[in-house]
Amino acid sequence: MTILEKLKKISHKEPGIRHFCIQTIRFKKFLENARGLLDLFDDGSEKVLGEYIFDRHYVVSLIDSVVERLGMMVYDACVLVPKSGEGLYAAYDEHKFTAGNLINANGSGKSGSIALDTSGSLEPEYQLLSDVLQWFNGKDTPDEPTVMGFMKQIFLSVIQFDAIGGLEAMDVVKTRTRALLGNSGVAASDMGIYLVDLWKDAQALPKEKRSINDFNSIPLKHLLMDISGIDAKDRLNRMNKGINWVAAVSEYQLSLNSLKPDFQFRLETLASGYEQSDFIFIFADKSAILDKILPAGFHIESTDYGQFAWNLDMSAKNIEDSLMIIGRSLLS
Amino acid sequence: MTKSLEVLLLDDEPIVGRRLKPALDKIGCRVEVFENPKEAVARIDQKEFDIVVTDIRMEEMDGIQVLEHVQKKWPRTKVIIITGYAKMDLAREAMGKGVFDFIAKPFRPDDLRRIIANAAEALGAPIDFSSINDEPVE
Repeated sequence: MTILEKLKKISHKEPGIRHFCIQTIRFKKFLENARGLLDLFDDGSEKVLGEYIFDRHYVVSLIDSVVERLGMMVYDACVLVPKSGEGLYAAYDEHKFTAGNLINANGSGKSGSIALDTSGSLEPEYQLLSDVLQWFNGKDTPDEPTVMGFMKQIFLSVIQFDAIGGLEAMDVVKTRTRALLGNSGVAASDMGIYLVDLWKDAQALPKEKRSINDFNSIPLKHLLMDISGIDAKDRLNRMNKGINWVAAVSEYQLSLNSLKPDFQFRLETLASGYEQSDFIFIFADKSAILDKILPAGFHIESTDYGQFAWNLDMSAKNIEDSLMIIGRSLLS
Repeated sequence: MTKSLEVLLLDDEPIVGRRLKPALDKIGCRVEVFENPKEAVARIDQKEFDIVVTDIRMEEMDGIQVLEHVQKKWPRTKVIIITGYAKMDLAREAMGKGVFDFIAKPFRPDDLRRIIANAAEALGAPIDFSSINDEPVE
């Protein structure tokens, strides 16, 4: 048997659940890159206020970093949803072109003054940074697309909720996920949630049925903290109503997805106890009333297709409280 | 009346000199600004400055060369290096050659003023800049 044949044989044996785990982990990577971009926006916004001294190298390196991170997001998106590749790379090329123009144009003079030189003109470095920030997150138009607008487009592609696929595409994904979990032998746990251990289950699924208590996941425990006391009868009722959620977990991570056909909701969180990296990210359809589901402090962005919400740099207590409130809202 | 600190500021990016000079003037420094390292070195040959603040990466001459020149000519002068490239090898090289301190771009004027105050203290000519706020410099 040739090496190629052996590899083919192994890949045929690879359980579908491994693919599910890999996709979930890749989505985490995708979110890390998105977060990196938001940090770059914040850094530029802080520096443009006039308090800092910086030179052209700083702005050029900021532009380069944004282009690099954006490229990583596009790459992740293409791994997650290969069919999105062509359109995203075309849009990415346009942003690279804009970035090149910004570097070469040395500031357009369109923005308001922030740091003036002795003649009352805006310093060219500040003008350039101001233009760069407009490109990041100014008014998004077809002629002048912003990086933030493109990020939203990438997100929508990744969660397969684009203008072409819409709700139907998401329902297809859900049906496929449900079938994958069923066929792979992932046992539906109590509380009406499919549970997947991101690292262990990718290697081998256990034969015996598992309970939520068998999973050592801090964010999952926080999510269920307020509702874990429900009695066995209620749990049975929930089971009979159907399994409507899938939660992929590790010790510090939780990826919670709705499987209900009429309710789009995806929550991603990292609760490692390290404030600088911990976060909660949510995508929900337009009908979801996020104000009622989420505690205060979340940044919410609405698009034509759904809502994004996130909270970054969260303390351990903030993560715990937020997940508890979200869990109560969603799962009670 | 105390003597003003004589400071030479060298950076090939004009914005640095334009924005730092007023910030240092406010703490009583007498600042001469240069964008061309060769012109700065020529001036250093003529005059002993208390403090030389220099960018590390410049076209014709880098900050390490400026540091070496200052030390040969005026061993008492404190040299502070501005770097936008947080490169450990360059930092180590400069530390080995006796640079007084580093500051990485982007930075606030007050960050540099603190380092200048430390250098003044080391020169035996302390300055009081407690009344200076961290306000934007125009």
